[in-house]
Amino acid sequence: MRIALMRIAECLPAWRWRRPQGVARPFIVLSLLVLLAGLASVLLGAGEVGPGRAIAVLLGGGDAEARFVVGSLRLPRTLIGIAVGVALGVSGALLQAMTRNPLAEPGLLGVSAGSAFAVALALLLGASAATLRVSAAQLGALVGCLCVLSVVRMRGVGSDPIRLVLAGAAFSALLASFTSLLLLFDQRAADEIRFWVIGSLSGRRIDDLIAVLPSLLVAGVIVLAIARPLAALALGERVASGLGHRPARVRLLVILAVSLLVGAATAIAGPIAFVGLVVPFAARALAGPDIRRALWLCVPLGPLMVVSADVLSRLLVAPSEMPLGVLTAICGAPVLVAVVRARRMPTL
Amino acid sequence: MHDRTLDIPQLSDEVRVPAPPGSWRLAWRWPVAEPRWASVLVERRSVIANLLLTVVLLLSSLMYLAVGSVVLGPLELLAVLRGEGDMVAAFMVHELRLPRLTAAWLTGAAFAVAGCLMQTLARNRLATPGIIGIDNGATAFAVASVVGISVSLAPPAMALMGAATAAAITFGLAVGGGTRGYRFIVAGIGVGAVFGAITQLLLARVGIDTANAAYPWTIGTLNARPANAMVVLAVGLAIGLLLAMWLSRSLSLMRFSDAVAQGLGIVIQRRRWQVLTVSVLLTGLAVAVAGPVGMVGLIGPEIARSLSSRRGVPIIGSALAGALVMVLSDLVGRVLLAPIELPVGIVTAVVGGPWLLWILLRPASRNLV
Amino acid sequence: MNHYANLAELEARALSLAYGRTPVIDTLDMTLPPGRVTAIVGPNGCGKSTLLAGLARLHVPGAGSVLLNGDDIQRLPARTLARQLALLPQQASAPEGLTVMDLIRFGRQPHQGWLSQWSADDRQAVHDALAAADLEDLAERPLDALSGGQRQRAWIAMTIAQQTPLLLLDEPTSALDLGHQIEVFELVRRLAGGGRTVVMVLHDLSSACRYADHLLALQGGRIVAAGPPNQVVTTDLVRHLYGIDCTLIIDPDTGAPLLGNIRRAHPSSA
Repeated sequence: MRIALMRIAECLPAWRWRRPQGVARPFIVLSLLVLLAGLASVLLGAGEVGPGRAIAVLLGGGDAEARFVVGSLRLPRTLIGIAVGVALGVSGALLQAMTRNPLAEPGLLGVSAGSAFAVALALLLGASAATLRVSAAQLGALVGCLCVLSVVRMRGVGSDPIRLVLAGAAFSALLASFTSLLLLFDQRAADEIRFWVIGSLSGRRIDDLIAVLPSLLVAGVIVLAIARPLAALALGERVASGLGHRPARVRLLVILAVSLLVGAATAIAGPIAFVGLVVPFAARALAGPDIRRALWLCVPLGPLMVVSADVLSRLLVAPSEMPLGVLTAICGAPVLVAVVRARRMPTL
Repeated sequence: MHDRTLDIPQLSDEVRVPAPPGSWRLAWRWPVAEPRWASVLVERRSVIANLLLTVVLLLSSLMYLAVGSVVLGPLELLAVLRGEGDMVAAFMVHELRLPRLTAAWLTGAAFAVAGCLMQTLARNRLATPGIIGIDNGATAFAVASVVGISVSLAPPAMALMGAATAAAITFGLAVGGGTRGYRFIVAGIGVGAVFGAITQLLLARVGIDTANAAYPWTIGTLNARPANAMVVLAVGLAIGLLLAMWLSRSLSLMRFSDAVAQGLGIVIQRRRWQVLTVSVLLTGLAVAVAGPVGMVGLIGPEIARSLSSRRGVPIIGSALAGALVMVLSDLVGRVLLAPIELPVGIVTAVVGGPWLLWILLRPASRNLV
Repeated sequence: MNHYANLAELEARALSLAYGRTPVIDTLDMTLPPGRVTAIVGPNGCGKSTLLAGLARLHVPGAGSVLLNGDDIQRLPARTLARQLALLPQQASAPEGLTVMDLIRFGRQPHQGWLSQWSADDRQAVHDALAAADLEDLAERPLDALSGGQRQRAWIAMTIAQQTPLLLLDEPTSALDLGHQIEVFELVRRLAGGGRTVVMVLHDLSSACRYADHLLALQGGRIVAAGPPNQVVTTDLVRHLYGIDCTLIIDPDTGAPLLGNIRRAHPSSA
């Protein structure tokens, strides 16, 4: 074991100090795509304001209705979509790196469900201010994260990615039924929660975004600080401590960051599954296994997925709207199956 | 007596063969020209377990009939069941509670037997139709028929089609990995998520009234229970149970690894198809009545297995335990927060969820059936 | 136990087996000597277990056939075959909570039906199997509570209860320590003494030499040597199979070849 450790350590400096290279170009291309998707999101909609009238607004003209729709509805919605996408994509990548499990995802593991349950509880107890909702969501996400972590630390479960996901699915289902129970108690809360709990970007205000902005920034700082130790942690706990990192502290920071990010995203948009699975999956496909490079690509990939899914959700069943969570599930489930299928296991 | 033994000694031997430990042996002479002996073994433990489950099921059913918005005493209930008693109570029991109780029995038994079959097929106690997405497939199709997506098929037929579709996709995706292990189950979870999303999509497209009409199918309740679906389920359950009993000897071998089962003369591929078909049939028909109450498919067989003998696959025990779980859950759902009625799907999820987590997370988890 | 008057004859005719498009066994011909113990040996990946699976009808041949007393086994009904040929696969897994007796009783399944679940023959066969495998005292023990060697004997007892003239064992001693290996090998010898034809896949050449009457050496999906161990095992064969040089010694007590002074083959001598 010691020898193996030393061998790995010998090889390490070679990549440890290499700049995350080869990421700049895909990052720029993806960011341009996000801009395009954002533009589409501003221009297209389920309502009567078509692209022509929306362009007029962007050019400084347009009629009052179009100005209202674009400025007060679609623009905030697009910005919120971008924020939610970044938060979910990055938190998925962080969780996967920490648990060393390609299936770890806030939605699948029950972090989002914990957050949603906390929000439902808060609403039931009479909370209405946006900030209060955010802290409830983040608290719920934190508890969810700690549950995930304690499960991962259990012997036999953490090493088996698929069992972890099953436990997460069971946990989510349980919390979801608790949330439904809460809804039965209180009609007012039920009406407020029911649409939110499916996961959607429609009807969210810019205030919601402003309320979560500070926590997103804090999470961003944490992520920058832990990216390098996290890459070492991907080689295993012993290797990481052999390299002078402190796995326990890194893990704690990851959990904090994930709770802040998932809590923020859930407080605005409700629980949205599979974004945290698909985005890091795509990022790894583009950038290779190094978590630092993958993290950079998650930043544009997350918004790209969420905003495009949101645009589609408006167009597919116009004039009504489809919940965003439905679309992400339809994109995400095949990726889930692909990941599971790709992991070859011995059979006979 | 002595003379007879001398005449045909080998037959007398057949009567006296001692049963293996833990079982009773019934032997009789086959009434055909050639003297042939038939022998049947019953596991003592399973017989006791099934009797116990039957008694508990009957008692809780009586309670189910007595308790509700109007509570009947034991004597009152007896009178009503005998066709006496007052009109209101009679109406309450015969028109409201009895059909609902029947629905609970039928769906509970169907879900549990389907679960037991699927668990045996996949050799994994987590592989119940509810978890591998078959419930969700049936639900999506049933909802589609309710919200009227240009099909005029009745919900049972649609639910069956949905169950079959979901099963086909899950098993199709698992090709290569086989039906074993967790990989297959995660594929099922993915399929279930897609069908769940489709259900939401269907509900999002239609008006609020239609959505409310379809709502029961998304959550699992005994409140709706379409009459024709009940009849279809009753017939399907009878057929399914017979088929499952017929398969039970092969099923007990299918719990071994494939090579062992094949070495003992099972044509494993054909048996798998048969078991899968019965399981899908029962799931689809039950969903058409009660919606996805998939947790019963996990809890029922689990109870039956812990009570019955380990030698066989407890088909009857699962049916009884499933019906029991359904009756008790619905009773709790009706009474606990009255006048609010908890859908039975939520009650079973709240009870079954922790159980599922326990199975997954307990130390030294053995997941073979 | 000598009731196998009609010894079963199993032979492969131009048998080819493949996983997908990867051929594993290539047009192989062989006949198993009846009433003897045959060991299939060869390096990892040479197709030993695949050949055994093919002989037991677990693997459908790409070409050629396996004949049991002259009949193609693919055409035999599954139960008929299970009464002629018993198989113990590698890492056989049993459901939780079975006792030794329960496991052995499953071996009777090919002889039973819905309305003949426990006849005098069944009882006799189960008790004979318990006695043959020396498990009478352990009959009521749960499988999980047995040692590795005892558990393997219980599995073999299940195949004994099947009362087949042919017995196929896939690495019956892998994952057993030396003492438990000997337990199993001696049981196998006793079975062959009772008139059964036994085939086992082994990865240990020395045990194969010691306990088999007939050796089939496989390399790259073909038979490279077949015959009694003391005739076919040569230093050339060992080098060809495993790429090692050794000195062959004859065991003074059993007459079986032993491998001594084993070392990696020198490239020039290979």
